[in-house]
Amino acid sequence: MDAGQAPTPIAGVGASAGGIEALQGFFQGMPRNPGVAFVVVTHLSPERKSLLSDILRTYTEMPVHVASDGMRVEANNVYVLPADAVLSIQNHALLLRKRSSTRREPKPIDIFFSALALDLGERAIGVVLSGGDGDGTLGVKAIKARGGLTLAQVPDGHGPRHPDMPESAISTGLVDFAVPAAAMGERIVEFVHSTNMMDGLAADSQVMHQDEAMVGARREIYAILRNQIGHDFGGYKTNTFMRRVQRRMQVNQLDSLEGYLEQLRQDPQEVGALFRDLLINVTSFFRDEDAFTRLAEEVIPKLFEGRGAEDTVRVWVPGCATGEEVFSLGILMREQLDRVQAAPRVQLFATDIDEHALGVARAGRYPAAMLEGVSEERRRRFFVPDGASYVLSKEVRELCIFSPHSVIRDPPFSRMDLISCRNLLIYFGADVQNQVIPTFHYALRPDGYLFLGTSENISNFGDLFASIDKKQRIFRRRPEMNGAARLPLSISGIRPGYVGGDVRRPNLSGMALRQVAEAQVLERFAPAYVVVNHEGDVVFYSGRTGKYLEPAPGAPSRQILAMARKGLRLDLRTVLREAQEGGRSITRDGVAVEGDGGRVQIVSVTAEPLRDREDGGALYIVLFTDEGPTLSREEAAGRANFAQDGTALQLDRELRDTRERLQSLIEEYETALEELKSSNEELVSVNEELQSTNEELEASKEELQSVNEELHTVNTELNAKIEGLDRANNDLQNLFNSTEIATIFLDRDLKIRSFTPAVSAVFNILPSDRGRPITDLSQRFDLPSFNQDLNEVLTSGKSLERQINQEGEQVNYLLRMSPYVSSIDRPQGLVVTVVDVTNLTRSETRQRILIAELQHRTRNLLGVVQSIARQTLDGDERSDVFIQRLAALGRVQSLIGHATQQSINLEDIVRAELQALGSAGDGRMTLAGPVVPLNLEHVQITALVLHELATNALKYGALKQPEGKLRVDWTIRQSEEGSSLLLHWRESGVPITEQPKRRGYGRELIEQALAYSLNARTELNFGPDGVVCVIEIPLTASPMAVLEER
Amino acid sequence: MMPMETALQGRRILVVEDDFLIALSMCETLKGAGATVLGPVGRIKDAVRFVQDRAGDFDEAVLDLDLHGQRSYPVADALVEAGRGFVFTTGFDMVSISKEYAMHPCCSKPVSTSALIVALCALSGVCEPGLGNGELPPG
Repeated sequence: MDAGQAPTPIAGVGASAGGIEALQGFFQGMPRNPGVAFVVVTHLSPERKSLLSDILRTYTEMPVHVASDGMRVEANNVYVLPADAVLSIQNHALLLRKRSSTRREPKPIDIFFSALALDLGERAIGVVLSGGDGDGTLGVKAIKARGGLTLAQVPDGHGPRHPDMPESAISTGLVDFAVPAAAMGERIVEFVHSTNMMDGLAADSQVMHQDEAMVGARREIYAILRNQIGHDFGGYKTNTFMRRVQRRMQVNQLDSLEGYLEQLRQDPQEVGALFRDLLINVTSFFRDEDAFTRLAEEVIPKLFEGRGAEDTVRVWVPGCATGEEVFSLGILMREQLDRVQAAPRVQLFATDIDEHALGVARAGRYPAAMLEGVSEERRRRFFVPDGASYVLSKEVRELCIFSPHSVIRDPPFSRMDLISCRNLLIYFGADVQNQVIPTFHYALRPDGYLFLGTSENISNFGDLFASIDKKQRIFRRRPEMNGAARLPLSISGIRPGYVGGDVRRPNLSGMALRQVAEAQVLERFAPAYVVVNHEGDVVFYSGRTGKYLEPAPGAPSRQILAMARKGLRLDLRTVLREAQEGGRSITRDGVAVEGDGGRVQIVSVTAEPLRDREDGGALYIVLFTDEGPTLSREEAAGRANFAQDGTALQLDRELRDTRERLQSLIEEYETALEELKSSNEELVSVNEELQSTNEELEASKEELQSVNEELHTVNTELNAKIEGLDRANNDLQNLFNSTEIATIFLDRDLKIRSFTPAVSAVFNILPSDRGRPITDLSQRFDLPSFNQDLNEVLTSGKSLERQINQEGEQVNYLLRMSPYVSSIDRPQGLVVTVVDVTNLTRSETRQRILIAELQHRTRNLLGVVQSIARQTLDGDERSDVFIQRLAALGRVQSLIGHATQQSINLEDIVRAELQALGSAGDGRMTLAGPVVPLNLEHVQITALVLHELATNALKYGALKQPEGKLRVDWTIRQSEEGSSLLLHWRESGVPITEQPKRRGYGRELIEQALAYSLNARTELNFGPDGVVCVIEIPLTASPMAVLEER
Repeated sequence: MMPMETALQGRRILVVEDDFLIALSMCETLKGAGATVLGPVGRIKDAVRFVQDRAGDFDEAVLDLDLHGQRSYPVADALVEAGRGFVFTTGFDMVSISKEYAMHPCCSKPVSTSALIVALCALSGVCEPGLGNGELPPG
């Protein structure tokens, strides 16, 4: 690939259980030369050697490699993760790390995908195929966060058999294409083509924002989203929004906004995809490290100030996504906890509207590549390495409680010490921000802290929050400036057209003189009164209420019934209830109120609904009007007696007793209520405990699922192996049955392990004889040394062969005993094969007879020729020569006939020739030389040549002269061309003879025949002392081999 | 009837035969019939090379079926390629010739002089009917 060109896009393909089918579909659906490199990552157990690469080769024409460290990734190639390693990528080269543990890496796909996202950015492609857990979900997020393409499998003919993995990826909303495996190839290729379009689009986008028509189109997109999803993005930042829209256009290969708008109108799924894309939130651990450092130094210690072991520090993280921000805070909290004694309880409430993101966060497991911002020390302290991933330690994890919650829609949390809401507000427009920030104010305790992202601010809510650190966006909640609590706004806040505003009370400064006068009259001369709400809480006091009300013991309370002075409470409760129920004014006269110093004041109590209330709950005015001056207790009693007779007095006493009893009952009731409240608190905390236990269970379940999946894979592979074994077994069985070679397998104790059916012809054997020693069985052949032979093979480890000739039955067997050798050196038993060689033996016998017959006929034929010659050439001088030559031929035939091997010894030939001339016996001849076997092919011509030499010697040379001597010797000469036979024929003691002038037939034979037939070199010299003949015959390999065998 | 001595007058004949004595005798026979004899050649390799290099030097060939234990078909192929007719001689039964080569004439050993000459004449197309004595090979 050229340096100038854009780098090859790389597709990470993640699969697990059931992945083979999915991969088959994936690669078979891939167009030729997609221009993409593929890296296949699967969940494989390290113990097993994977055949995956071999299997993939049958599905794709692209070269398939088993990934190795440092391998460069090239387009149109497939790389497969080996079973015992974890794969990562850097600068387009694969990084392979061997694993020490035997357990498989739980999330290899996440690990590779996140590395891929870092390395390739927009050119990374993540493909999640069939699998049984949530692996790939974080990886898909990483790829998506860097602008890459993501795909996940949905069912068709190629599975997925285990849909959990792709479903988890899809449910994050970060998957661009949820399509069947076979359709992915096409999408990937389209993506690769359209990535080049991206730059052009980005340039267009500037124009897009200014164009009025575009604004209209954007509004329509908002409307479609609002109608279909119920979420209004009108408040989102335009730039952010349009970037996401562009991304979707690219995925859909559309190049105009109108076209995309049309697609949105037609396709509700596209609306969902756009919505999810808009919600992408990219976080990492300690994103903006300075801000976190400042938080740890300035804010967190203050949260712990004055808190004991009984107290709780509460933190809320809205929009927590996959949990990095929460756990960063958790780590800071844990570090702070280590510094203080009597540490308070810490709770981090992490909320998000995305349930799947929460699932990932709950697991607390992150690929190493995602832990960039975590210092080495913290990594050691708070993370447990697990393969190539890191799992958050329990001490941090247990601080955090995750729950689904929308900061816009749902009622907020309350009594928080810190709210950390980083990089969520950037997705909200001004009106949503105006809603959310007061919500935070409400949720925080007085002096609580707010921690925002560095690009966010509290906008115009300077009266709600005071800045602690402007740069790092840390704020402290201000006390409420006026009486109106800023309760969180209702959902109406995001209604289109609503203008979020500052709701303030009208200023009282323009009060008229009359009002001032009236106010003073009211204050001076009107009866004392209070205004209470429906629950009885006082919302307003007039002056001089102290005579009737006093602070209740315990925590400050505005509850009027709790504050009522002695004697007043019961009547007060009655009038209030009646006023509430009837909605009219109720008065009760003659109520005796016991004041300080035992004085009694008779009052009349009036309760009346407050008119002209437009909104909110009903309020009631409670008036206290004195009747006469204060009295002592006796006077009061006397006044009462004065008015009534004795019966009344008794009733009055009874009434007083009853009242006291009632009073004590009320107190008991209130105590019980308190207890109930605290029980409720306990219940809430128990509930939280349960929640966290549930989360733990969920994590265990995920682990179980992955183990199960692993088992499943192992099982599948095992089944395949068993099938292979069955086939091999069947083949062997068929081989045994068809060969008809009797074969018996024996163990070391000579017990029968198994045998082939043909054995029954040789041994008296039944299937039930398995396990019996073979020596117990009777055989149908006669081999007394059988047992001895078996033992010998067992000890020596060498095969033995025995030929058995059954005389009586005309049957011949070849018995072969071989050691049964497995991987161990010592023989594990024996294999005895018995072959019926009867036919072979018969053929051999017949062949021998035929050869003998042939010999016989040949010699007879020669005899006939001889006799015809003698008769035909009667008396001719040449007939003797002819007959002698014929005789020499006959001798050669005789030698050949007697030969047991395919060769004859040279000495036998020489000796036979000389003997035939009747001169071998006397001392004039010497024969010397090693044993040289000659091929049958060489024999005839050599014998004829020797015959001519001998005949010549007898006629004219050494054998004619009484003092003549003949020496024949031969040696074998080794030279570079091979070995050759060197034969010297030396005659001596012969008077000088003339070189014969005529080159007769004999001489021609001597000089040329050997040269012609055997490539021999012959030299015939008529020396002063007699004939010397040197013959050198090259020996082919075969006679030497025969020689060595001997 | 053409006299034996001149039956092969002017013909140049290559002899391929591994046995020296038979080769010697065959050369004599052919010379006796007026032919010019080339060879004898005894090995397949040499014979093939001879045919390839010197095809122009001879008109017909006599080819022993068995040369040092091997069938001489490569030589036959070379001869066919060079466009030269030839006669097989063999000590084996004639049916032992492979089917592809069965259309070539064949004389069994020991070779009768007249049969060989008739077969060679038939190849060169100068043979007169009536010269032969009925020993023409069946193949």
